[in-house]
Amino acid sequence: MVPLVLEAFAKIVFMFLLIMGFVPLLIWAERKGSAFIQDRTGPNRAAVLGIRLAGLVHPIADVLKLVFKEDVVPAQRHRFLYAFAPMLVMVVAMSTYAVIPFGDYLEIGGRRIPLVVADLKVGMLYILAIASLGTYGVALGGWASNSKYTFLGAMRSTASMISYEITMALSLLGLFMIFGTLQITQIVAGQGELIWGWLPRWGIVVQPVGFLLFIAAVYAETNRTPFDMTERDSEIVAGYHTEYSSLKFALFFMAEYAHMVVAAALIAALFFGGYQIPWLPRSLLEAHAGMLLTGSLAAGGGLSLVVAWLYFRRARRERGWYNDSREREPGFLGAVAALVGLGLLGSLTLAPWSVGAAGASIFVTVAQTGCFIAKVAFFAWLFIWVRWTVPSFRYDQVMRLGWQIMLPVGLLNLAATAVWLVIAHR
Amino acid sequence: METFLFFFGGAVLLSGGIAAVASRSAVNAACWLVFAFLGAAGLFAALHAPFLAVLQVLVYAGAVMVLFLFVIMMLEGPVMQGESRRPRLWLPLLAMAPAVVIAVVASRALRTAAPVGFDTVLPDGFGQPLRVSWLLLQDYVFAFQMIAILLLVAMVGALALGRSERKRPWQ
Repeated sequence: MVPLVLEAFAKIVFMFLLIMGFVPLLIWAERKGSAFIQDRTGPNRAAVLGIRLAGLVHPIADVLKLVFKEDVVPAQRHRFLYAFAPMLVMVVAMSTYAVIPFGDYLEIGGRRIPLVVADLKVGMLYILAIASLGTYGVALGGWASNSKYTFLGAMRSTASMISYEITMALSLLGLFMIFGTLQITQIVAGQGELIWGWLPRWGIVVQPVGFLLFIAAVYAETNRTPFDMTERDSEIVAGYHTEYSSLKFALFFMAEYAHMVVAAALIAALFFGGYQIPWLPRSLLEAHAGMLLTGSLAAGGGLSLVVAWLYFRRARRERGWYNDSREREPGFLGAVAALVGLGLLGSLTLAPWSVGAAGASIFVTVAQTGCFIAKVAFFAWLFIWVRWTVPSFRYDQVMRLGWQIMLPVGLLNLAATAVWLVIAHR
Repeated sequence: METFLFFFGGAVLLSGGIAAVASRSAVNAACWLVFAFLGAAGLFAALHAPFLAVLQVLVYAGAVMVLFLFVIMMLEGPVMQGESRRPRLWLPLLAMAPAVVIAVVASRALRTAAPVGFDTVLPDGFGQPLRVSWLLLQDYVFAFQMIAILLLVAMVGALALGRSERKRPWQ
C-alpha cells in the first residue's frame, strides 16, 4: 500500500513539474520565437549577475511582477464566480494530464510501475469531459467581471468551444475504432507496431483526416490563433480576462500555456506514437541497452565539450566589449557545458556497456520519456509557429468552418473508417 | 468507499438541486445545477460505471449546461444589481449539512454490518461502454432513432421560428 501511494505521488509530482517547467519555457519561446519570425531581437534585458540565457530569465521577472502587482477588481462583479473562474481554468488545465502516459513501464526490483498517473479505461472520454468543463472558467469569468468586453469575449469563447467540441470528439472516434479501445495507454501501445514492416502504425498514418480535424479543433479549444477571436486585442481588448489583474490574470495566462502543453501531449500521444521511438521497439532497446547507453554517453559528452569550447572561444573574443557583468555569461555557460561533458565522459569509467536488467529498464524509460517530451516540445512550438505566421479568422468564418466544413468531414471520416474496418476484417 | 461515494454524491446532488431552485439569479441556478450533475456523476462512479459517470459530466455538465448558460447570458446580459452582493453560501451549506451527517453515520453503521455491495443488484456488465452501446444500438434502436428524428424536427422548428417575421415560410 505504502509503495503504491509513493509511486502515485512521485508520478503526480513528475507530471506537475513537467507542466510547470514547460509553461515558462513556452512563454519564453513565444516571445523569442515571435521576435525571430518578425526579425526582432526579443527580450534580452533581465539578468541575474549578468547571466541572461537569451531571455530565459524574463519569465522569473514576469512572475515576480505579477505576484507583487495590486489586485484591481471591478466593483460590480459577481464576487464568488469572479474569484472562482481563474481557479477552475487552472484546475481543468492541470487535471487533464492524469491519463496521458509519459512512458511504458519501469521495472525496479521485480515491480512493474506503469508510467501514467491514472490508467482509466475511459481515459479519452475523461479528457473530453474535463476539457468541456474548462468552458465554464472562461464563460463565467467573462460574465462575472461585468464588463462588455469580457462579456463579448466569454460569448465568443463559449460559441467556439461548443462548435469545436463535437468535431474534436468525432475526429477521435475513428481512432478509437481502429485501436478498439478508449484507453490512452493501449492506443499508444498499439502505435508501436509497424505496417508492412517499415511504416510505424501511428495515428496520423491510420487516420490522416482525423488528425487534421483534431489539430484544428484543438487550436480552437485552446483559443489560439487562427481561432483567437476570444481575446482579439483590436476588437475586444483582451477578451474574457480584460478585468483581471495580478495573480488572477497570471492563472488565466498560465492556464493558456498549460492547455497548449496538454494539447501538444495529446497530439503526440494519439497521433504520433506517444513515447514510442519509431523503429526502436522496447525489446530492441533492452537487448542493446549497454551499447546504446555507452554510445549516447560518449556522444553527449563529446557534444558538451564542443559546446564548451565554442563558449570559451566567444568569451575570449568578447572580452572588453561591454565592460560590465554581461561579459561573464559565455564563460559561465562554457564552464557548465564543460562540467556536464566531463561528467558524462567520466561516467564511461563505470562500464555502462555491461549494464544490468534494472539499468536497462531505466535506460529504456529515460529514452522513451525523452522521446515523448521531445514530441510534446515540437507540437508546443508548432502552436507558436502557427500563431505568428497564420492570419486569424473572423468570427463568422470560425463558425462556418466549424459547422459547415469540419462537422460533415468528421462524419464522413467516421463512416469511411467504419466501412474500411468492416471490409478489412472480413 | 462505495457507501461514502453514494452518500457524498447524493449530498452534492441534493444540495445542488435545492440551491438551484432557491437561487434568484438564473446564472447562479445554472451553476448550482452543474454542481448537482457532478454529484450525479459521483453516484454513477459508486455504481462501478466510470463510463456513465464520465458521460454524465461530458454531456450534461459539459455540453447541455454550457448551452443553457450561453442562452441565459445572451438573454440576461452582464451581472445585474443584486448579483454582485456577497454570496449567500449558507443556503446550500444548510441543505448539505444533514446529508453529510447521514453519510458519516451511515458509512459508520454499514462498516460494522455485512457489506451490501452494488454488485448483487446490478446486471452483468452494467455501465460498460459495450453494454451501453448494445442497449442503444440493438435493443432500443427504434426508440433511439425516433428520439433522434424528434430532436431533428424540433431543431428545424426552432430555426423556422427564429427567422425574421417576413421570411417565415407560412406567411
